[in-house]
Amino acid sequence: MKSHMVSLNILPIVRKEFRQIKRDKRILSILLFIPALMLLMFGYALNFDVKHTSMAVYDEDRSSTSREFVEQFFISEYFTKVQTLESKAEINNLLDAEQARVVLVIPSSFTKDIQRGRAASVQVIVDGANSNAASTVLGYINAIIQQYSVKVMTESFVRMGQQNITMPIDFEPRVWYNPELESAKFLVPGLIAFILMVTAVVSTAMAIVRERELGTMEQLMVSPIKPIELILGKTIPYTLISLFATVTVLFLGYILFDVSIKGSIFLLSLVTFIFFIGSLGMGLLISTMVETQQLAFMIAAIVSMLPTFILSGFVFPIRNMPIIIQGITYLLPARYFLVVLRAIILKGAGLSAFWDQALILAIYAFFMISISSLRMRKILR
Amino acid sequence: MKLWNGHKKQPATTVPFDNDVAVVAEELTKKFGKFVAVDHVSFKVKRGEIFGFLGPNGAGKSTTIRMLCGLYSPTEGSARVGGFDIASQTDEIKSRIGYMSQKFSLYEDLTVEQNINFYGGIYGLEGARLEERKRWAIEMAGLTGKESTLAHALSGGWRQRLALGCSILHEPPILFLDEPTGGVDPVSRRKFWDLIYDLSHRGVTIFVTTHYMDEAEHCNTLGLIYSGKLIALGSPTELKHSLDRYSVFEVQCSNPVDAMELLRDQAWAAETSIFGSAFHISTLNVSDAEKKIHGILTNEKIVVSRIEKIIPSLEDVFIQRIAEEDVRKNGARN
Amino acid sequence: MFGISFFAPVFQLIILGYAATFDVSKIPMAVCDFDHSSSSRSLIQKFTSTEYFIVEGYFEKTSEIDHQLDDGHASIALVIPRGFEKKLGSGHPAPLQLIADGTETSTAGIGLSYASIIVSNYAQNILLESLMKKGSVTTPARVSAEFRVWYNPELKSRNFMVPGVLGLLLMVMTMLLTSLAIVKEKELGTLEQLVVTPIKPYQLIIGKLAPFFLIGVIDVILVVFFASLIFSLPVKGGVLLLLLLSLIFLMTTLGLGLFISTISRTQQQAMMTAIFFFMLPMMFFSGFVFPIENMPTIIQYVSYVIPLRYYFVIVRGLFLKGVGLDILWPQALALFIFGSVILSMSVLRFQKKLE
Repeated sequence: MKSHMVSLNILPIVRKEFRQIKRDKRILSILLFIPALMLLMFGYALNFDVKHTSMAVYDEDRSSTSREFVEQFFISEYFTKVQTLESKAEINNLLDAEQARVVLVIPSSFTKDIQRGRAASVQVIVDGANSNAASTVLGYINAIIQQYSVKVMTESFVRMGQQNITMPIDFEPRVWYNPELESAKFLVPGLIAFILMVTAVVSTAMAIVRERELGTMEQLMVSPIKPIELILGKTIPYTLISLFATVTVLFLGYILFDVSIKGSIFLLSLVTFIFFIGSLGMGLLISTMVETQQLAFMIAAIVSMLPTFILSGFVFPIRNMPIIIQGITYLLPARYFLVVLRAIILKGAGLSAFWDQALILAIYAFFMISISSLRMRKILR
Repeated sequence: MKLWNGHKKQPATTVPFDNDVAVVAEELTKKFGKFVAVDHVSFKVKRGEIFGFLGPNGAGKSTTIRMLCGLYSPTEGSARVGGFDIASQTDEIKSRIGYMSQKFSLYEDLTVEQNINFYGGIYGLEGARLEERKRWAIEMAGLTGKESTLAHALSGGWRQRLALGCSILHEPPILFLDEPTGGVDPVSRRKFWDLIYDLSHRGVTIFVTTHYMDEAEHCNTLGLIYSGKLIALGSPTELKHSLDRYSVFEVQCSNPVDAMELLRDQAWAAETSIFGSAFHISTLNVSDAEKKIHGILTNEKIVVSRIEKIIPSLEDVFIQRIAEEDVRKNGARN
Repeated sequence: MFGISFFAPVFQLIILGYAATFDVSKIPMAVCDFDHSSSSRSLIQKFTSTEYFIVEGYFEKTSEIDHQLDDGHASIALVIPRGFEKKLGSGHPAPLQLIADGTETSTAGIGLSYASIIVSNYAQNILLESLMKKGSVTTPARVSAEFRVWYNPELKSRNFMVPGVLGLLLMVMTMLLTSLAIVKEKELGTLEQLVVTPIKPYQLIIGKLAPFFLIGVIDVILVVFFASLIFSLPVKGGVLLLLLLSLIFLMTTLGLGLFISTISRTQQQAMMTAIFFFMLPMMFFSGFVFPIENMPTIIQYVSYVIPLRYYFVIVRGLFLKGVGLDILWPQALALFIFGSVILSMSVLRFQKKLE
């Protein structure tokens, strides 16, 4: 009983692609090592936590109280003291030359005000050039000062004879999904999306265009190889490589940064697969539009790397972008993929939380594959 | 040297030849927009013969081959390769033909062996058969010992033979060669044609395009292509005799350029062309053509050292036919 | 290809300038008020009256809050349990719950910080009121702060991004394109053609680098123009000084471009090397997006050899702070030293390769 199986002759092409990839060591290292390297960089060096901010102090009061106040800042790891200033005139140069990012100015009346039960005001000057760091730092400083203020207030109440002052509100902030607010956890899902998208789009586009540029495309078209075999044969190696890179990133993320997949691995694989297919389609589409590898690379990079990095929510939260740009982000599959990734990996959420994103990704994948195969068929004919 | 498998083995794929004709084209036409690349070309290629397409660059040779291989679809007309229609049965055709183009389409960053493995795999060869064919191809190309050399490190002649080997690993009964000797030294060209001859003796039909006159002489049947039209068709001998209306003389003199200028205006002179240090002139069959030539030239103080009637070469035929075609075109335009 | 290499970075500049913002405001908040008292309402009002939070919905069940956070519709949830107001007056602390979605770390961090301040303020006021009522006349001591933000008072991200993108743009146009152009000639064989002529090596190099030098200058001018036109961001420190210091920076990028061309055989290799082994690391470790102070000490030392780091200080200083050479001379000097070293090494290497 013979079963009618569709046999596809893709092995020779797959083998050839692998051999060619192996020969060009640089491309291989980029596809494999760079993602892991990026993970390490992001996990250890690059994060949004604003710690060890350089702070200079100009203390006109110079009392034990003011010193105690100043210490509040340096107990935590959020600030590092770089200088104690002798005069106000030094402040300008300090900030201009980026030798300190914050200057704390304590007036001479500090201790007196506190002792007399008045409001003591300090001045904080912040270098606003890096606005993200600046806002975060402002928040920290505010919190520290608040805390100290409460302490001072309580003490003054005690002095006034009131005992047992308790704060009327018991405030428990809780952070879900990423309790330590580790940037790595925020960045890992985005990194995965980034790797997949770039590999799928850039490598696919270049691999197919390379064939055309070299002239071997004609030889292949004359042979019994069907278009589908060619496409599969060319994309499978890169698929495998980027899958490997993704798994590596997840693995490293788990070992080094404790990023574990809280949700369903099956759903994760499924949605990742859909996203990948869509990106492959995009790569194929690009390959039908350009003649040289250089151009293929540039267009693929512009269309995939940049939007994914800047606009998808990978690094910069979308919510705060201008409305027009937010509108543009709706066109990016990476945006939706990122929501799903974060939901599954960090939140452990189920399909109900992201079914709409998944649906959009599926539609996008279908659309891309259809257009690109139509074009490919036209070209290969 | 064994070129085909030693024992009598049927090629893996059988071809239903109709009446021993391997390739037939009927009014084959290809238009790109308004530009007519191939203009109603018709011919028949017998099984086992070497059929050549001769013509200048841009004449339509490559386009014709591409249509026959299933790369382009014809705008008008039809053709059958191995009995299969080129418009509707390209899949059947592709597994039964070999193709080699001027570019030699090898993967530069793969070794000799890897290239062979790849093309073998593409045509469905595997296991023992692949090994056998691989050894044959390497030996035929003279690349024994060079299996691990990268393709881009090979010089012209080796790559040419490797490309040929890769194109016939699957032992196709019909082979298409598109200007296969471009940029290759004369010795390698000679060796290459030895291989082609041998294939032909074994029954392989070979369709080759070229713009080298000396290669054209090697073909059993020759088609002259010019501006998309087939302006002559026949064996080289037939073609040379087709100029029987004309006599061709070779003239050696002191000033060929001026001499040609003088003779061109004569009513009985058809075509002149420089040939090395002498020149050829084809004249209508008039008596005393030699004397007339001698007279005109000596009158103008040109010293004539030799006038000899010759059998026209293919080049003469070619030039003559092209000139006739040009006249026809201009006449049509007026 | 040239067109794309030019327009793409410019396009990026504009997009980045607008899109790349960490400014945190309008954080969507879900509220679950089980108390429905005037106190709870006034607390909620404290949140809504700031621009930092937007109440995205009021819910009756905590399970709905879970969904909101899971979906990502809300980044923060405020849960006020029943009996909140009563407890406030009783002398026992009233529990209050705030839940933050930690996946967006920057939002969560800042959001929590703001929320804590709001709640803390609210609690302080309640305490003061109750103590006033008990009859104490004197107000207690407290500490408050007066904040001043220099250079970028509105804390606009784009004021920070735009100068940074200038550095990136120069790197792309001068380092990447230079290496590509030279390698392309190597591939085509035209470089060989030049070498057999009487041209001396240094003339060849100058000839190759000069166009990109010019492009770099044009880029600086273009960015300054667009920045002031579209983003209202003029160069406080003077355009001439910016040009001068940019020229010194160009020494480093051109030198690197030349170097890359000597280690790449094909254009593809040059592109990959330039982008992945030079530009990306330089971008990340130069203090553009991620502050250097956060990085492990070892990496901080590494950042000292990245020319881009110094250029960023210069660019920020000139665009935002309006400082002069008296402040920026260390950076200028560092760039000059780097530039000279890199250029001479690359030129020597290039000459050797030519032979």
